[in-house]
Amino acid sequence: MRKWFTSGAPWIWMTSGAVSLALIAVLGLLLLIASRGLVYFWPSTLYEWQLQESQGETSVVIGERYERERVPRERLEQAGMTVPGEAPFVERFLVKTGNRERVSLDFRWIWQDQVIAERTPEALAVVERVRNGNFYGYPEALVVDGERLQGGQMATRLPSVIEEANRLRDEARELQSGAIGRINYQLEQLRLQKRKLALKGQDSPDNLAPLEAQASALRAEYQVLEQSLFALRQQAASDWLEVREMTGETVRLPMDQVLAVAFPNRMNLLEKLWHWMGKVAIFVTAEPREANTEGGVFPAIFGTVFMVMLMAVIVTPFGVLAAVYLHEYAANNALTRFIRIAVINLAGVPSIVYGVFGLGFFVYVLGGSLDSLFYPEALPSPTFGTPGVLWASLTLAILTLPVVIVSTEEGLARIPSTVRHGSLALGATQAETLWRIVLPMASPAIMTGLILAVARAAGEVAPLMLVGVVKLAPQLPVDGNFPYVHLERKFMHLGFHIYDVGFQSPNVEAARPLVYATSFLLVTVIVSLNLTAIAVRNHLREKFRSIDHG
Amino acid sequence: MLSIDTGERATKAIDPNRLTKAQTAFEIENLGLHYGDKMALSEISMKIPKHQITAFIGPSGCGKSTLLRCLNRMNDLIDDCHITGTIRLDGDDIHDRRIDVAALRRNVGMVFQRPNPFPKSIYENVVYGLRLHGIRDRRRLDEAAEQALKAAALWDEVKDRLGDNAFGLSGGQQQRLVIARAIAIEPQVLLLDEPTSALDPISTLTIEELITELKSRYTVVIVTHNMQQAARVSDHTAFMYLGKLIEYRDTNTLFTTPRQKQTEDYITGRYG
Repeated sequence: MRKWFTSGAPWIWMTSGAVSLALIAVLGLLLLIASRGLVYFWPSTLYEWQLQESQGETSVVIGERYERERVPRERLEQAGMTVPGEAPFVERFLVKTGNRERVSLDFRWIWQDQVIAERTPEALAVVERVRNGNFYGYPEALVVDGERLQGGQMATRLPSVIEEANRLRDEARELQSGAIGRINYQLEQLRLQKRKLALKGQDSPDNLAPLEAQASALRAEYQVLEQSLFALRQQAASDWLEVREMTGETVRLPMDQVLAVAFPNRMNLLEKLWHWMGKVAIFVTAEPREANTEGGVFPAIFGTVFMVMLMAVIVTPFGVLAAVYLHEYAANNALTRFIRIAVINLAGVPSIVYGVFGLGFFVYVLGGSLDSLFYPEALPSPTFGTPGVLWASLTLAILTLPVVIVSTEEGLARIPSTVRHGSLALGATQAETLWRIVLPMASPAIMTGLILAVARAAGEVAPLMLVGVVKLAPQLPVDGNFPYVHLERKFMHLGFHIYDVGFQSPNVEAARPLVYATSFLLVTVIVSLNLTAIAVRNHLREKFRSIDHG
Repeated sequence: MLSIDTGERATKAIDPNRLTKAQTAFEIENLGLHYGDKMALSEISMKIPKHQITAFIGPSGCGKSTLLRCLNRMNDLIDDCHITGTIRLDGDDIHDRRIDVAALRRNVGMVFQRPNPFPKSIYENVVYGLRLHGIRDRRRLDEAAEQALKAAALWDEVKDRLGDNAFGLSGGQQQRLVIARAIAIEPQVLLLDEPTSALDPISTLTIEELITELKSRYTVVIVTHNMQQAARVSDHTAFMYLGKLIEYRDTNTLFTTPRQKQTEDYITGRYG
């Protein structure tokens, strides 16, 4: 035993054990969120259950089975529930019944003992809708241009009708956010110009006339576009699908509400996979619907990546310049050491504190002064004096500044002095040496700092809630309206989206898989941002590999 | 005792202590240097002749590299380095406030103990000094690079891969590249600080041949711990010990009939 101890073997076991634990933790975390999140998009089997109600009647429930559990009878009875049967443990399962506007709750628990019959009819369909979530039932008839189609006819026409409905909807949205959005934006700009003139006291009729003319032209254009938008909507709503729901009633679903109709019980594995991929693609590319519980998260992905990149653009020059001064120019005395320690300690300040600083300094002081200097015409509604993507990026840039400074300084320290002296001996000044030799050689270290900064910034949520993140941003920070990049706008963020969907959602059960899916997406986004940066760094390392040669 | 080929050099040897102004590159007068409280050089006075090869020899820590680094003011980079006395290059005090250090270093090139190419291509290494001068004309750069590489006896080995990273070269090639880099800006003086100590014997031989060839165009000052090397390549040799200049004569005389006891002890291998 003693011999085993002195051999060093336990040391190896202990260290390798620590590594294994870390690996298991990381993989387990990824596996959990990946499986929970990705299963959400899988077309699950639709069931029709016949249930025994308490008064001896029977009822029918149609839906997806979400989870199954065994609970002790005692606990349920203590909670005041009447439980059928005698057994000490009761089996129950959670069913998503959908049809949110027809029933009070679209999720319900069913006792296993209640179930008389369980069927998976192939004719059962899940209808995805723009509003009110999924609808489960048997499609009975499709009414197109007043013509009523049933059975095989319905089945053959349905895909093309849905495609047409989607096309019309896309067209309408394009019109609304594209052309109409542009006109609204221009009208707002005109209003601001008028206000600006009024503030300068130059609002004479002569000056106002051209603006008025422009505005009325835009309004006329608006009228036309609005008409065509209404027409599109009307056209889309003229057809409908009749679906028999679990109560036996037939419900009319206008086609402008229908996004997709799927028959999961008819699909084979390949079709399910195809369907799954389609849903994942929609999740990544579409905008959210219904208080973020349905649809996609594209604006959140865009906001996260845009904000992080803006932050990287801001933090890199600042951090590098500060590190260069500290390492190359500052005398190595107590003050420099104090500054260095202070910088390192900055990394330990809780992020919410940076958020408060960002709100107090950037938003109110800087943004407020910018507004009163450059945008007085928009007041009292603020332009930059309100949380926005620029302030969020600046706040995170300060938060990650210490990381960049520290790793850049380490990189500078690792450059052999012989190379610096080589440059100086050729008659280069210190600045020339720095610019031509030292900084290029330190670039892998700078990238390392940037990687750490990006990893930290992309996962931060708390400070962002104070300086620019919102639950739902109507517009992306980048669009087709001049000047194309709108740094004053608020934005959506995957991290905040997780919090919002998970804890602020009206429908907890519906939101839960989305929390996993969004978390998985956030991890994916951060990992891919990091991998990109690492690839760049490895390229730079290869280019300046002298460091390894001493 | 060393066997030294004296041959032709003995006939035209000049006494380095009696140089005329026109023959002198550096004139060092009563030079002293301290690192903090520690004395590194003291009371050094000597003249380094133009277009000749002068070697500094002596045991480790005798101050020969420090003296060399004084000649292009590389010691300025060291904190608490204090210098007294004067060094004149062509009659101008190099410590004069009006002297631009960068200009001085362009005029007095230096090659270090270990090859220190920059992490750039071979071509970019050679033209680095020219680019610092602001020369952008591609043809001029190409010409200068070719000349410098030819002068450093490296051209034939690298002419087909000028764009490759300089770290792909062998140690000896790297050292010749560094020499090419130094002479590309056409300095007056070339300082070599133990240029072959990190190289194998064959590379050493190539570099030594190169140094002898450089003499016609540049004033060369070489520090070496290898006495055979000093004897082989140099015209004049200065023996230093504990920060002092002990003996400075033409190489043949110094190695065959040293005047000082310490010099004799050193060259016969009694210490060092």
